[in-house]
Amino acid sequence: MKRSAIIAAAALGALVAAGCGSSSSTTGGGSASGTTKACVASIGLEAPITGPVAPLGQEQLHFAQLAMITDNLANKTRITLVQGDTQLNPAMATTVTQQFTSNNKIVAVVGPAGSQEVEAVGPLMDRAGLAFISGSATNASLTTGKYPTFFRSVSKDSVQGPQDANYIVNTLHPKALMIVDDQEAYSTGLVSAMVPIFSAAGIKVDHESVSQKTTDFSSLVAKVTPDTTVVVLPWQVAANAQQFGKDLAQEHKKAVIFGTDGLFSPGTFTISGSYVSSFGPDITAIPADSAIAAAAKAKYGTFGTFGPPVYAATHVVDEAIASVCKSGQTPSRANVLAAIKNTNEATSILGQPIKFDSHGDVVNGKFFLFKIDSSGKYVLVPA
Amino acid sequence: MSLDSPPPAADPQVGADEWVAREAGRHEYLPSWMGDTQRRWERIGWWPRLALAGLAGLALPLIGLGGFQLQVGIDTLVIVLLALGLNIVVGWAGLLDLGYVAFFGCGAYGFALLSSSQLGIHLPTWLSVPIVMIGAAILGLLVGWPSRRLIGDYLAIITLFFGEAFVEFTNNVAPGVFGGPNGIVGIDPFSVFGRQITTNTGYYYLLVVVAVLTMAVLRLLDTSRTGRAWRAVREDSLAAASMTIPVNRVKLMAFSFGAVVAALAGTIFAAQQISVFPTDFDTPILILIYAALILGGAGSIAGAAVGALVVMIIYDGLLRSPTDSGYLFYGLILLTLVVKLRPWRRLAAVLAATVALGLAAHAIAKAISASAVAGGPASTGWLGDALRNWVIVPANSTVLGKWGYVLLVCLLIALVQVKGRWRTILLVPTLCLASFVWETVLSAQPSVTRQIMIGAILIVMMIARPQGLLGSRRVEAPT
Amino acid sequence: MAFFFQELVNGLTTGALYALVALGFTMVYGVLKLLNFAHGDLYMIGSYVGFFVIQWFGGPNKLTIAVPLLLVIMFVLAALLVGGLGVAMERFAYRPLRDAPRIAPLITAIGVSFFLENSALLLFGAQYRVYNTSEFISLSSGIQIGSVTIDSVQILVLVLAALLTVGLRLLVNRTTLGKQMRAVAADREAAEMLGINVNFTIAATFFIGGALAGVAGVMGGLLFNQVTPTIGFIAGLKAFTAAVVGGIGSIPGAVLGGLLLGVAESFITGYISSTYTNLLVFLLLIAVMLVRPSGLLGRAQLQKV
Repeated sequence: MKRSAIIAAAALGALVAAGCGSSSSTTGGGSASGTTKACVASIGLEAPITGPVAPLGQEQLHFAQLAMITDNLANKTRITLVQGDTQLNPAMATTVTQQFTSNNKIVAVVGPAGSQEVEAVGPLMDRAGLAFISGSATNASLTTGKYPTFFRSVSKDSVQGPQDANYIVNTLHPKALMIVDDQEAYSTGLVSAMVPIFSAAGIKVDHESVSQKTTDFSSLVAKVTPDTTVVVLPWQVAANAQQFGKDLAQEHKKAVIFGTDGLFSPGTFTISGSYVSSFGPDITAIPADSAIAAAAKAKYGTFGTFGPPVYAATHVVDEAIASVCKSGQTPSRANVLAAIKNTNEATSILGQPIKFDSHGDVVNGKFFLFKIDSSGKYVLVPA
Repeated sequence: MSLDSPPPAADPQVGADEWVAREAGRHEYLPSWMGDTQRRWERIGWWPRLALAGLAGLALPLIGLGGFQLQVGIDTLVIVLLALGLNIVVGWAGLLDLGYVAFFGCGAYGFALLSSSQLGIHLPTWLSVPIVMIGAAILGLLVGWPSRRLIGDYLAIITLFFGEAFVEFTNNVAPGVFGGPNGIVGIDPFSVFGRQITTNTGYYYLLVVVAVLTMAVLRLLDTSRTGRAWRAVREDSLAAASMTIPVNRVKLMAFSFGAVVAALAGTIFAAQQISVFPTDFDTPILILIYAALILGGAGSIAGAAVGALVVMIIYDGLLRSPTDSGYLFYGLILLTLVVKLRPWRRLAAVLAATVALGLAAHAIAKAISASAVAGGPASTGWLGDALRNWVIVPANSTVLGKWGYVLLVCLLIALVQVKGRWRTILLVPTLCLASFVWETVLSAQPSVTRQIMIGAILIVMMIARPQGLLGSRRVEAPT
Repeated sequence: MAFFFQELVNGLTTGALYALVALGFTMVYGVLKLLNFAHGDLYMIGSYVGFFVIQWFGGPNKLTIAVPLLLVIMFVLAALLVGGLGVAMERFAYRPLRDAPRIAPLITAIGVSFFLENSALLLFGAQYRVYNTSEFISLSSGIQIGSVTIDSVQILVLVLAALLTVGLRLLVNRTTLGKQMRAVAADREAAEMLGINVNFTIAATFFIGGALAGVAGVMGGLLFNQVTPTIGFIAGLKAFTAAVVGGIGSIPGAVLGGLLLGVAESFITGYISSTYTNLLVFLLLIAVMLVRPSGLLGRAQLQKV
């Protein structure tokens, strides 16, 4: 018995020692002078990789990995990606952020995904001087200057909401409409931007709400009245909207679905006649992105809208690190942050130039409107 | 009458339940040398042990903790507090409360509403925290009120509803007040004795002090009449009632006390995070608290604390880092083998055979085709180097790895079914396969593997010691 | 009026689904007094099995076999595989804990749930898998009464659920296995002393419970189209709710609880507001439990000193 005790204790001791040794922060993670030596750095990725929105988080993870691999090849850098699973939970995002800030090798972070997570980790990132770019946190209040190290590669709710609402009012002329939020910050933000515009135009608004975990919409669809011609679904889960559309057809309702960028998913959301407003064009339709789209499809299967903005964000960080190395310095949080601030890409995977304003928003971010034709193809609606 | 030899001491014995054992000063210790250590440790006396633990906790940052480890420490201590509170309801009073995390949320939201810019009220800490705690006590009475008529699993479902209703409520109702999915941000920091606590180190110390004080209060409760009444109600509420114990009142008190402890934890959590959101108080946290309490041993204060430490340090600390996860994976397998395989000749044989099989298979695969071993093991450092010539990792290993995973699960189930020599023989390829699966698919997805590992750890630990690390085996009356 | 009936049909359909999952849950509880929190994940595995069967036969757009045959294969395969998984689960995780305090298997169940859900995430990936039912079962097939539509999938769900419930009732009340199950549920030690093979009976219970969950999973996939590793959690929660509200351990109770839950959700969404659906359903069920503390059809438990 004593022998097993000694063996067990030795094993545990070795484990703990090795663990403490590897996870404690080490100083000076940069490489030697970065002249002809490879450019080595680490990026953290905060995404809901498991948990309630795992499909979205996994898509973000895959696109971030794809960007890292592509940019490493193109720029001859050696950037590694460190994953942090937040499960869209702000408290967990805090723990992950602490993990990243105490790891000196990490010079920038991509993510987190949810606006509420950004609110939770913003002060921490600021204190550590760590730049963080989100590909999906669209709440307007995030770029009021509260978080000096925050950037995002997509435009915000306060632009998208009114733009879409005005289009609906002026072009679709519904007498009554139903707007359903999915009880997440992204959705409720858009709803509160749109509803006042509808009410001011005299449209009868039925504001409903379902959880993202709901998969059965038949009861809600039964509530769609005959003179409701538009149903607005600012959701994040395209598959849910597809199911909603099927239920509409099954119960013989004539309403047209108007969705936002969460629904932009040419493989999943294919209800003919629907409108989808997105912050970026269909990357499968952009010739320059065909290689990336093909690679993503081959490796990971179908994807929606949450991947490409994270690709763009990771690409911004990769380019920032590469430019720091090219100027002869070793990547650190400070110089990478400065390089990100100076980002000036003529074009990106999203088909738009990327340049950040002083608060971290993309300059001239706009939204593209698509209509789905009878074969399920997304056709751009001219502005 | 019985012709058999008396059952071994480890089996539960009729009539020798926890109550009797406790009163006689005996309880079930961990096996062999661990039990000896426990006995020696317990000779010190409960209060000195608490003081030592508290001093150890306070001294930890002085050794030098990084920001991440400090955060893990804070998360752990919050769960320690919650497990202590849940111990009152589940461990002492025996009431299955599946909505406990809602009290935690009420404490956090209460503090957020009273001490932040949300409603413009900025009550000082010494005022808002007691108000929140009293509110939680009343809420605990309300939630416990159905326990008058409902027992067992029926009570569980009502408390579950309460827990779910809380998340729905804070997410959807009155977004102007509760913040909706955007939560409440900008919560005032704690101010203790005139000083504001704004750093993680400060909150860590605060939490250690609060945890020690809570454990002290709970110990006083445990050894009081109320504690004995709770245990009586837990064991057999009808018998307790016929002994003039006011069962309903006792149950309500359990709910109340549990709620108060949870609310206290909630206020500190809210202040440390500076923000609260509805998703902070959803089912995953409830599962963590329960796992911590039951793993540590429900019914014991030290058990609740130890369980929380073990669960959180593994789940939130070690498993978040891929290299640590690798060490933990191999380490736990080796530990299980060392503990379970007796005599040591058997262990040596299995290990030798595993190494031999791996080397042989690797050499054969290499001879057949170079691409079969083109990929390297995912582990880095000395572990990766050790494994390089032992585990077969082909170039495109994902699909193969996934099938390997399925095969591994089947082998594990088979291992449980077979006995004796076959089991030892089957162990060898299982170990090789386990390493293969780890190096191919499991390390590639650390976030998913983390959840799988904690699930596996929970299963194995409960099978190994169902009463928890520091709990005692109880004989339950058949229902 | 038509609206009322439409909501009623919708509610009964989802309720039938909840009832099926609740049936398996309540059976396991009846025999082992175990709250199997991993039951919802069995539902999820059933959904995946159905999805892969569709893919095997060409995918929803280009099926290589007739639809009725496809459905039969889906249901049978899901029942067998998930039932087997249930038996394995019991053997590996729950058998060692038969005599442990009741709260220990709770944690094991949670561990099994973590394991199953994340294994599915690992093996199948996180992306949404869609059945695309409307491709092979046309949306316009079905009955239309006035302006109330009941499509064929809903009819299938209702009929199959009814058949399975009746079949289960017959099994438990008329067959020897059912008698053994009831004996083990009443008093396991006594049943063992009477010569009943308790291990086999419990394994059979888990098989049947798992099979029901698997079939429910396929039905859920047909109804709701989308399959991800996380759908099991909600299904398990609804099953637990329905089973307890109906009286845990009682088979008609589980069915009644499930139907009540489905209809309540439907009507509250339809007539009040979807924002407060979950909250109000909880309040309603709390009221039901307070009025009938042992559930709707549960037997008042005899407490012995």
